[in-house]
Amino acid sequence: MTILYHGEPNGPSLSVLAALYESGLDIDCKPIDLLAGERHALPGVSDSVALDFAVEGEGPVLVADGEAMSEAVFLAQYFDEAAGGCGLQPSDPYARWQMLMWCRQATERLSPAVAYLGNLAWSQKRLAAMSQDEFHKLAGAIASEDLRQRWQELRDGAVDAAKVEDSKTKVAQFVARVEAQLVDGREWLMGPFSIADLETYAWLRPMRELEATAFAGQDRCRAWMDRVEARPSVQEALGRATADNSAHAFAPGPEINRWG
Amino acid sequence: MADITLYHWEPNANSGKPMLALAEKGVAYDSHYIDMLKFDQHQPEYLAVNPQGTIPAMTHGDRVLTESTAIMEYVNDAFPGPDLMPPDPRDRWRVRWWMKFMDQWLGPSFSMIGWCTFVGPSLAHKSEAEREAMIARIPLPERRAAWRKAMFAEFGESELAESRRRIAQGVKLLEEELGKREYVASNQYSLADINIFNSTYMLPVGNGDLCSPEATPNIWRWLKAVYRRPAVQQTWAMGSGRFTDRFNAIMGEITA
Repeated sequence: MTILYHGEPNGPSLSVLAALYESGLDIDCKPIDLLAGERHALPGVSDSVALDFAVEGEGPVLVADGEAMSEAVFLAQYFDEAAGGCGLQPSDPYARWQMLMWCRQATERLSPAVAYLGNLAWSQKRLAAMSQDEFHKLAGAIASEDLRQRWQELRDGAVDAAKVEDSKTKVAQFVARVEAQLVDGREWLMGPFSIADLETYAWLRPMRELEATAFAGQDRCRAWMDRVEARPSVQEALGRATADNSAHAFAPGPEINRWG
Repeated sequence: MADITLYHWEPNANSGKPMLALAEKGVAYDSHYIDMLKFDQHQPEYLAVNPQGTIPAMTHGDRVLTESTAIMEYVNDAFPGPDLMPPDPRDRWRVRWWMKFMDQWLGPSFSMIGWCTFVGPSLAHKSEAEREAMIARIPLPERRAAWRKAMFAEFGESELAESRRRIAQGVKLLEEELGKREYVASNQYSLADINIFNSTYMLPVGNGDLCSPEATPNIWRWLKAVYRRPAVQQTWAMGSGRFTDRFNAIMGEITA
């Protein structure tokens, strides 16, 4: 029995849903409200370490035979490999290394920045409005102390101006990086379509509104985002939205690099 | 001359990962020792290979590869020899999950404590001007900030306490994980074992309270099994013994 529990199609839930649809695997998908803490109360989980201690924070969870599986890039690789290779990963070792390096930059630099800005902009108020009892219950179900701390800081509206500035810079740098990658006229980031396109698009999408200036004059990047968005898999993933604007759906994500 | 050159420091943490992966695959390579404490990694000769000044780096023909975990994955994909990834997709996912957990959550905490207690103090004899000059040569701003903290002992008590908390938590999770399967993430020796062994073999030396035959029998069994591998012995013989001697002594007592 395998079920994919996902949030609104944004960030990691968007990239994982799209990767699933690219793979063609027949897996049940169930929407959950990540900002209500529902990820920490999933039924049928007997091995929860990857749910509790995901570096990604509040991302989608695939539950397979009781084992919770997390981390968007690795779930996309899993779908690709479980489907016998659906073209989401290059087969050449060097091209694969390049794709993994790109995805690492996206998950280590871009996604913490986007999660920080997006949560402050769109999720802070809802958390702050929760009753003390309600929040206490939610936080009590979170096993990881540092993830719980990120929830608490968000509820408290603790804004670190240096982190905001750093996050804005990282978003702009990543948009510029995408623009530079596409300068030779290629259609997709790595040449052939891959997980790198899904992962990068899914995190940049909510920034088009919040950090619009980062995209100014970056025409190749914007055209590439439109191409990714037009893919049937991405359209199907976006079609699972229940919120008015799924690009506003955030819950505490990966932490901003603390050392090393 | 081999087609492959590995630029590495001691067979420890990040440098040890591609060294062990190459040894397991039986791939010959030119070893180029970079003395991190002499800042070889920020000298023009090395920056010409890897402009970011991070170690390790590997060249394969005209390709330059960086980032230790990603290099290991390349090594496993590109060369014949035993497969260091299990065939089952879920096992493969688990290998990746544990490597990320180490690289981004637990590893940085080991690193912070190591830099505070070892790397920083080993450069304390240099004059302030010398240390400033060393820092000025570092290409990446994040690395400049990290070296400054280490060289001028600027770590805060709360961040050190958080790193110690994470190390204790991470050891507990690893002990539980190794109770589920023979190796980390699967029942076959994989890149996850290489990755995690490189950052945990010092636990019995530096954190005997957290890791011992009594406190963590599963980690102990696994450390011994990995330590006995010919590739580990062969790779450690390439190091100065700066880190591995004390572990060798402990293991010698156990396996004698």
